This record gives sequence, C-alpha cells and structure tokens, in this order.
Amino acid sequence: MILVVHLYKRLMRKGRVISLLALASVPGLVFWLAGFDADPASQEALYSDILAGAGYSYAIAVLILTVATLREERDGGTLPYIYMRPIPRVTLAAWSIVAGIAAALTIALGGWLATVLSTWAVGADLSITLPGLSLFVAAAVGYAAIFVPLGYLLPRSLLVGLGYIIVIESILARAVSGLAQFSIWRISLSIYADLAPVFGTEATEILEPVSSGVGGGVLKLTATLALGMITLTLALQRRDAL
Amino acid sequence: MTDTVTTTSLSKWFGPKVAVSEVTIGFGPGVTGLLGPNGAGKTTLMRVVAGLQRPSQGEVSVLGENPRKTPAIYKQMALVPEDEAIYERLTARQFITLAAQLARVSDPEANTRRVLETVDLVDSADRRLEGFSKGMRQRAKVAAALVSDPEVLLLDEPLNGADPVQRAALIKLFGELGSAGRTVIVSSHVLAEVERMAGRVVAMVDGRLAAVGSVEAIRAAMTDRPRQVFVECSDPRALAAGLIESDGVVGLHVSEGQLRIEASDAGAVALALPALALSKDVSITRLEPSDESLESVFRYLVEAR
Repeated sequence: MILVVHLYKRLMRKGRVISLLALASVPGLVFWLAGFDADPASQEALYSDILAGAGYSYAIAVLILTVATLREERDGGTLPYIYMRPIPRVTLAAWSIVAGIAAALTIALGGWLATVLSTWAVGADLSITLPGLSLFVAAAVGYAAIFVPLGYLLPRSLLVGLGYIIVIESILARAVSGLAQFSIWRISLSIYADLAPVFGTEATEILEPVSSGVGGGVLKLTATLALGMITLTLALQRRDAL
Repeated sequence: MTDTVTTTSLSKWFGPKVAVSEVTIGFGPGVTGLLGPNGAGKTTLMRVVAGLQRPSQGEVSVLGENPRKTPAIYKQMALVPEDEAIYERLTARQFITLAAQLARVSDPEANTRRVLETVDLVDSADRRLEGFSKGMRQRAKVAAALVSDPEVLLLDEPLNGADPVQRAALIKLFGELGSAGRTVIVSSHVLAEVERMAGRVVAMVDGRLAAVGSVEAIRAAMTDRPRQVFVECSDPRALAAGLIESDGVVGLHVSEGQLRIEASDAGAVALALPALALSKDVSITRLEPSDESLESVFRYLVEAR
C-alpha cells in the first residue's frame, strides 16, 4: 500500500487536481446552464443526455491523470527508486493501476458532485444524479486500467490516449460496430443505462451495438482490468525501466 | 574471494550504437572503481547490472540471481543513480523512509535516522529535497541506498557536487563498507578519488573492458610502454649524459633543474642513479615515478585504443 499512497500523492498535485476537477465538472456545468430552461419532467432525460455527451471531458481528465502514474516516474528519472525494490512485478503493476484508479475516482467524485450541485441549483430532483455516479466510477476504473499501462509504455501516451477517446470512441465507434465493443465509455454507459431507466431509448441509439446491463458492463471492465494488469506486468518485466 | 556480481559476455546496444560490448567480469567484496571517459559504457553497465536495462546479449548475476527475473534481490542490492532526479517535494527523511518502506526494512524510521546520521544530513532531514544542493542530494540518495543495508552497492558518480569535506567523508564511508565485506562498485570520472577509495580498478573504453586490476598491476602489465621517472637535481644535463648509454633507457627529456627518464626497466635505472649522481657530483633532491598514477594509466589505456 505504501506504493499506492506514494503514486497517488504524486498524481494529486494541487494545480493538476484543480484543473482536472474543472474539466470533469463540464457535464455539471452544462446541465446547470441547460437545466433552467427544461421543464421538470424532462430534466432527468436531459441529465442523462448531457452525461453521455459532455462526459467525454471527464474521460479526458482521467486520461491526463492516469497516464502520468508511471510516465512521470519514467520521465522524471525517479523510476529506479520504485523499480529497484523487492516487489514482484505483478504486484508493482497492480499497485500502480490501483493508484491510477484511486486518483481517477477522486476526480470522478468531483465531477459527479458538480452534477449534484447543478441539479440542486436548477431545482431538479436530486435522485436523478445517483445512477450518474456509476458512470463516473465505471469510467474511472476502465480508463485507468488501460491508460496506466499506456503511460508506462509510450512517451506520447497522452496523444495516443486522446486519439483513442476522440477518434476511436467518439467517431469511429459510431460507424464501426466492432470498435464500439472496446469503448470504455460505452461500457460505462451500458452500466449507467441499466441503472437510469429514463435513459433507456436514448441509450439504445448511443450504445448500439453494446447492450445495457450492469453485469455485462462489470464483466467487460474486469476483463479490461485483467488485460491492463497483464500488459503492465509484461512491460515491467521485459522493457528497460528507464 | 567469490564474486558477488558477475557479467558474462554482456552486451547492450541501442539501435546501431553499442554501449557495452562483450563484457565478462566479476566483482567481489571490497570497493571496485569503474573508470572510463564519457560514453565508455560505465553507466549502461551499472544500469544493466542493476536490472534497470535488459542486456541485449549475455547474462548478469547478482548474488546468484538475475535481477531482471528476481526482484527479491533488491533487498540486497541498491543503486545510487547518476541522474539528479529525485522526489523534489519530499523531505530527505520522507524520501529515505519511503525507500526503507518499499525495501521492506524493519523499523524504517529508526533505519532512516541511522543513515541520516551516516551521511550527515540530520540537520536538513526535514527540509524538502528541492531546496538541497547537488551534493546534499547525492548524500540523500546514498542514504536511501544504504537504508536497506545492501550487500551490493552500485554508485554511479556518487561524489558529483559534493564539497571536499563531504567527498572525504563519503570516500571514507565507501571504504568502510568495502572493508566490511560489501561489494561496492563506484564509477567516477575523478580519477584521484577512485585511486583513493578503490583497491581494484575496472577501466572501460568504447564499451569494452580495457583493464582490470590494481593501478600498479595494470601499469606493470603495460610492458609496451616505457616507465617514466622524474628526477629533480642540481645538474640534469650531466646526469642525462651519464645515462644516455645505459641499458634500459629509451628516452631523456632535460629541462631546468629537471630530468624525465623514459625507461624500459625503471628499477634498474633507479638503482644506477645514486652511483651515477655521486660520480658526476650531482645532488638529487627528488626522484619519483611520474606515470604511476591512475590518471596516467588511464590515459595510456585510452590512447591504446
């Protein structure tokens, strides 16, 4: 756990946290601006639409945060201080991903709280925000599982990650159904859609061909986590640690 | 004595650049100095031995284990990297305690106090590392390496930035660790310091081993090079005239009050000199070998390549 705390603290620098919280709060801000004009009956649907659409800003915030988990150690020349320790590589990989998830969850909580605040500000029913937490949490876990290894492996991981979110997830995945199955955002939305029934019809269009369901979504996230763990463990074992 | 660190036909290349080439060597308890000009491959060799870089070819063994495959070895091995990189936001105490905790040292706080005293950083222990001078950072890094009481200590330019007093203290410390049976491998470009702290020298040039052994042994083995003897005397010309026909003398350089003799057999020349000086009525005020230092030996090795 020492390693998790160390990596987490290193990630959560004040300036970075403030700017990433601001980025993750975009859905909340958009809902606050749009929610005043919406009639109470449609506020829940509006909340879901905004989360599904503007939520990419949160995905980008998680990307910026989690790729830095080991990349900063590598670029800063401090990796030997954690690599040259009697820690099995699989444990080192696991703790690194856990640290990335913990940091992403902190931002997730901030982003979700922003939606709660804006819901309160526009006078909507606060209960509509509860399922939203699942979207933030699922995306935090899923993105951290792929972006922590990516950050370790590639010097330009931020650009590659942005390419994944912007090009693959938000553009190509709409056109190529096979790619949609590998979209962390859609997997996270599939969990949210199952918990927010009003999002139902809308979700079918957004998620297609991914079907909504907590069980399936959690399973896919677990597989993503396992894949991230294996990739990072192999990278730590086989690549130069500098 | 058994080698604790060995490399067998070790090579490391980066694309077309060969950083370390076919290095087979063993390091045992005591202090070994790793010498070489910039780009000789010292740092790469250290990093490969430390397990930070994968060998392109060959093998590394530390206490019988391959560090790339057995991370548990890091309980007994530590590296002080050459880079200045350090956790700037931590205090020296936090940095060393973190190292102790990650190395699973029992009672990390007590061991942190111990090594802070060893490197004389007690007074600055609670200051952030970002405010440390280069020399203080080096000492903090050395302390972090020592906190797990390692059997094998790799020190890459550990004296960089340290002031003369600190240098002397660190050299003494490394010597003590070597005397206590630890394997200490120190790379440095300050030859005089290596000469002071290391009983054995490993010289590298262009990624290859150029020489291994004590400075004297390496120099003695360089039979193709004449030894130089420096003489300070009252009449160097007279002395040179007497020596010119002597066996073993291959060159003479005369300057005001000084004579530099190049000899294939320096011992014989040294023995002949007193009688010759007496016969020529020349008084000798100083007589010493002028190329026995590590710097001279190393210069020869580099020139020989």
